[in-house]
Amino acid sequence: MIAFLKILLTMAAGLGLGLFITAYALSGTSPFDSARVGPWIVSAHAGSMEADPYTRAIIERSGQIPLANGEGIQMIAWTDDAGRMLNSRCVYSVGPRVPAAHYWTLSLIDRRGFPVGNLAARYGFRSSEILRSGGGDFVITVAAEVQPGNWLPIGAAGRFGLALRLYDSPLGATAGEIDRSAAPRIVRTACE
Amino acid sequence: MRPKSGGSYLGVYLAAAVILAALVHFVVVLAAPLVASDDAFQRLAALGDVNATVLLPRADPSQEAFPYGDPAVAMSFCRYDLASGPIRVAAPAGRSFASISFHARRGLVFYSLTDKAAAHGVIDAVIGTPEQVQALAANDNEEDPSRDLRVAAPAPQGYVLMRAFSESPSLYPQAEAEAKRLACRPEPMPK
Repeated sequence: MIAFLKILLTMAAGLGLGLFITAYALSGTSPFDSARVGPWIVSAHAGSMEADPYTRAIIERSGQIPLANGEGIQMIAWTDDAGRMLNSRCVYSVGPRVPAAHYWTLSLIDRRGFPVGNLAARYGFRSSEILRSGGGDFVITVAAEVQPGNWLPIGAAGRFGLALRLYDSPLGATAGEIDRSAAPRIVRTACE
Repeated sequence: MRPKSGGSYLGVYLAAAVILAALVHFVVVLAAPLVASDDAFQRLAALGDVNATVLLPRADPSQEAFPYGDPAVAMSFCRYDLASGPIRVAAPAGRSFASISFHARRGLVFYSLTDKAAAHGVIDAVIGTPEQVQALAANDNEEDPSRDLRVAAPAPQGYVLMRAFSESPSLYPQAEAEAKRLACRPEPMPK
């Protein structure tokens, strides 16, 4: 009887542990398909036939429509350049350049990948509407409070992410093709 | 060899639990695309019939259907089912960036085209099963072969997604109008 209970307990523990690990593994980006460019994470094969099982499971589970590799590249950051989680109580400056692309956008997302509501109804910036310095460099200030220049509001308290999308880019999404110095820096300038 | 106490079996039970956990993990990961009842394809299927072009709501905080959408990009889609024959897809190449991508049902993108590939302002392609693509090619006139771009789909069901970029917030309605012009029509098979 005790042996039976032990076996039952073992199976329950195994099942529970397996599901827990799976839920954790499928909540982020695929462990086999995430190239890092500074704080930016690129899922190189999400938009191709070569997507690994983890990438496919993550895509299917979240309901997202992946950007095809031929259309563009999506880069996501959850931390600043120093590796600290992005936090609504801080101010970040993002810039001054992005990797080569015909168009790009920088948007703020919540942990599930959705835009965050804010009073300015500003969810992101397009390369075609941004204020730039004479040399073409730019700074986007990510902050909860109103900022001069390109202000990307943080609409809700807590953690958030930044999504950089490069459309019609000559770069492949494969690791190493995107130069660290070409990706925008995310610098924490102040915290409450 | 008989253990001195019941505790000696602990390692065996732990190992069994870990092995079971690993098995459960791999089975769930591999099966997820096959059993996902709430993936993009299912969510899109609820919005429109096969071959109908449907404009997707803009990525803003009021919609929570499709994560990781770009608020600057208007999106439309049409579902296809190649069981009844190949489909011709046509999309306008707008004033800004536009693209179409072909998605198989289980979360794989198998092809994409951007406005760079457009001829006379239209991005145009025919998708079919490998057999249908072969049959179309076999029927080509040798003197004047068709210039159609034919794409073999890895699965008979899926969807075509169009993206139209808006260069400014005021141009978003125009991008939506372009996205609405995505057209998916049955392509006649050679007799």
